[in-house]
Amino acid sequence: VERQENIYLSLVSITGDYLGPAAERFIDRQISNHLEKEPQTITKKDVGILLDWLRGSVSLLTDNENMVEEYIGQLKQLSGGKQTPSAKRH
Amino acid sequence: MAKRIKDSDNSLFPKAPDNLFIDALFASIGDGAIATDEFSRIVRINSIALDILGLSSSEVIGNWYPSVVVSVNEDGSHVSLMERSITKAFITGKPVSDKTYYLHKLGHQVPVSITVAPILIKNRPIGAINLFRDITQEYEIDSMKSEFISLASHQLRTPLSSIQTYSHMLLDGFMGEISKEQKTALEAIVDAGDRMNHLTDTLLNITRIEAGYMTVSKKDIDIKALAEKVIKEQDIEAKAKKLSISTNFPKENMIADTDKFITKEILTNLVSNAIKYTPERGQITISIKRVKDEIICSVDDTGIGIPKQSHEYIFNKFFRAPNVLDRDTTGTGLGLYLIKSLAERINIPLWFESDESKGTTFYFALPSAAPKNGKISQSRKSSKNIKDKI
Repeated sequence: VERQENIYLSLVSITGDYLGPAAERFIDRQISNHLEKEPQTITKKDVGILLDWLRGSVSLLTDNENMVEEYIGQLKQLSGGKQTPSAKRH
Repeated sequence: MAKRIKDSDNSLFPKAPDNLFIDALFASIGDGAIATDEFSRIVRINSIALDILGLSSSEVIGNWYPSVVVSVNEDGSHVSLMERSITKAFITGKPVSDKTYYLHKLGHQVPVSITVAPILIKNRPIGAINLFRDITQEYEIDSMKSEFISLASHQLRTPLSSIQTYSHMLLDGFMGEISKEQKTALEAIVDAGDRMNHLTDTLLNITRIEAGYMTVSKKDIDIKALAEKVIKEQDIEAKAKKLSISTNFPKENMIADTDKFITKEILTNLVSNAIKYTPERGQITISIKRVKDEIICSVDDTGIGIPKQSHEYIFNKFFRAPNVLDRDTTGTGLGLYLIKSLAERINIPLWFESDESKGTTFYFALPSAAPKNGKISQSRKSSKNIKDKI
């Protein structure tokens, strides 16, 4: 449970760098809507499933595609995957 | 087409032949249609959408959706990116329907009815589609209808006021003694006048809300005092049905940050409803309690309840549950619609629990007023900043 909470906290923390204090609510809504589970129970695999939804949502808040890919790249790392090439550029 | 996508390689995006089909599909849609990719860039738009926005295809394709399709409120302020339907569709993963205003290239606002949905391939979102139509004509007709109802209600008030005043004077013996029969007749006139007054007030409030004329002025309001006032005002009606109204208030002060008039209207209408639909000698309980940074108010009755199959329609305009149609022929089906509209006007949640034949409890939650220099004050201040930022 502790490790799962760490994943959740990391997800909120990374998102917080981009969205500020709105991050926690933003992430909680994504998790409950797309994964239908309690936010704190999120796993690495779940982060992978959320990536496309998060990309789409964050892309509606900024027109800076590089920043969106940088954000998604960090989340990919969190999910155990690799950073995308565009994310590595930054 | 779905089969072709399934049979194709791993690419999530359709190949060239599908593009022709999608172009034809877009051109044939009778409403405005815009499709975006995963970075919210506009990849397709049909001519109806271009007409509504006053733009040409070259000004749109490849550009960031929120900068091209600008959604504004009635007062012209921009809808925050987080509150936009397309964002909500991405956050919820479901189609979102709404009414808003789009900003035309020439600067005027176009009222539109929209439905936005994420485009999914193999359960992965690859963009969004927005279908919308210009509802200017509907708005104009609706506005004319509201103006007529508002005018009619307002004009009805003046003669009604005279009828009420003189009926009361006659009933109270100011114009000489009256017989028993005359008293009965006058009581019926006063009662009918009260109902007409209530109806004109309801109609006026509804038209004000629908026309956007009802202003909101939030202040620190003592909710316990407000509730006591509402109970006092409804005391005569409750006593006439031998109903008992009790309160369940905490000792501490319950100060909410809300609009006094609208909150009082909500509570008054809820108590009035409870009185109306609770049989004689029943019980009505008004409760107030604090839950975190909210003040929850509830009106509980031992009335006829709302049948389960009516729950989803109960706040609809003119809806009346089947179990009240036989008992009460004077209702209009506007009371709960008004209450819901008022709650939406001040952006507070309203909900209910009901068991047919046992009774109903309506709840609404008001934001607690911020204590001076307290934690709530700081957190609410910061949450406002978040909204402003995004």
